[in-house]
Amino acid sequence: MPPGDDVIEQEIRIAAPPEAVFPFFTDPEKMRRWKGMDHKVDPQPGGIYRVNIDGTHVARGEYVEVNPPHRVTFTWGWEDDGNPVPPGSSTVEVTLTPDGDDTIVRLVHRGLPLEAVEPHAAGWRHYLARLAIAGSGADPGPDLGPS
Amino acid sequence: MDAALRAIAEPHRREILRLVGDEELAAGEIASHFDLSRPAVSQHLRVLVDAGLLESRREATRIIYRARPEGLSELRDYLEGFWATGLRRLKRAVEREMEDTERATRR
Repeated sequence: MPPGDDVIEQEIRIAAPPEAVFPFFTDPEKMRRWKGMDHKVDPQPGGIYRVNIDGTHVARGEYVEVNPPHRVTFTWGWEDDGNPVPPGSSTVEVTLTPDGDDTIVRLVHRGLPLEAVEPHAAGWRHYLARLAIAGSGADPGPDLGPS
Repeated sequence: MDAALRAIAEPHRREILRLVGDEELAAGEIASHFDLSRPAVSQHLRVLVDAGLLESRREATRIIYRARPEGLSELRDYLEGFWATGLRRLKRAVEREMEDTERATRR
C-alpha cells in the first residue's frame, strides 16, 4: 500500500536557507506572518504550541523536538468542542533539507482520524490507495480559515 | 466539511463506518452490533448520511446502508488543503523576508 492512508504529506521549495526558514516555526512574530493570528509558543520539548488560527479555531499541542535548523516536531489538534482532532492527538513533523540555495520543507501530519476511519475494509483501502496516488496537486478546497 | 469532521469524532459512528466499509448492511444489522437503543443508532446513521459519509437505499421495508467513499476524500482534501495553503503562505513569508534582507544589505 502507498504510504499515508492516515497521513498527510506536503512538500514545498523555498528560496532561502534552512536557517531562515526555521524560526517561522518557533518565533511568534514570524509565525504570525504565515499562520494564525495569535501565538503562544514555548519552543522546547514539552513546551506549548498554541495558535489561534482565525479567531474561532484554535490549534494546540506541544513541541516534541526542536532541532534548528533541521527539524521541528509538535503535537497538534483543534480545541473546538467535539473536534475529531483534539489537542495533542496528532503529530506534525517538519523537516528542512537544504538544496542548493533553497530549502525543501517537508511536512508530515500523522495520527489523523483518517486512521480511525481507515479500516480493515477493502473498499476503503482501495479508495484511499487511489487517493494517495492522485497526489496533492488538487484544489485545497474549504479551509479552516485564513491560516 | 465540518459535518464530516464532527461525524467521525464519535466512536460509535467510526465503528459504523468500519462495519459498512466492506458490505451493505440494513439498519437492524448495524444496530445489533451495539448496546445502543435503535433510536440512538438511527440518530448516528442520520448524522453520517448528512455528513456525506454514508448512503442509504430502501429495499422493501428495510433501509440498507453503505459507505460513501467520496465523503472520506472530501475530508482528506480538507486536511491537505489546510497545510497546503499554510505552506504556500510560509513560502511567501520567508521569501519576502529574504528579499527585504537582501535589499537592506545592498544599501
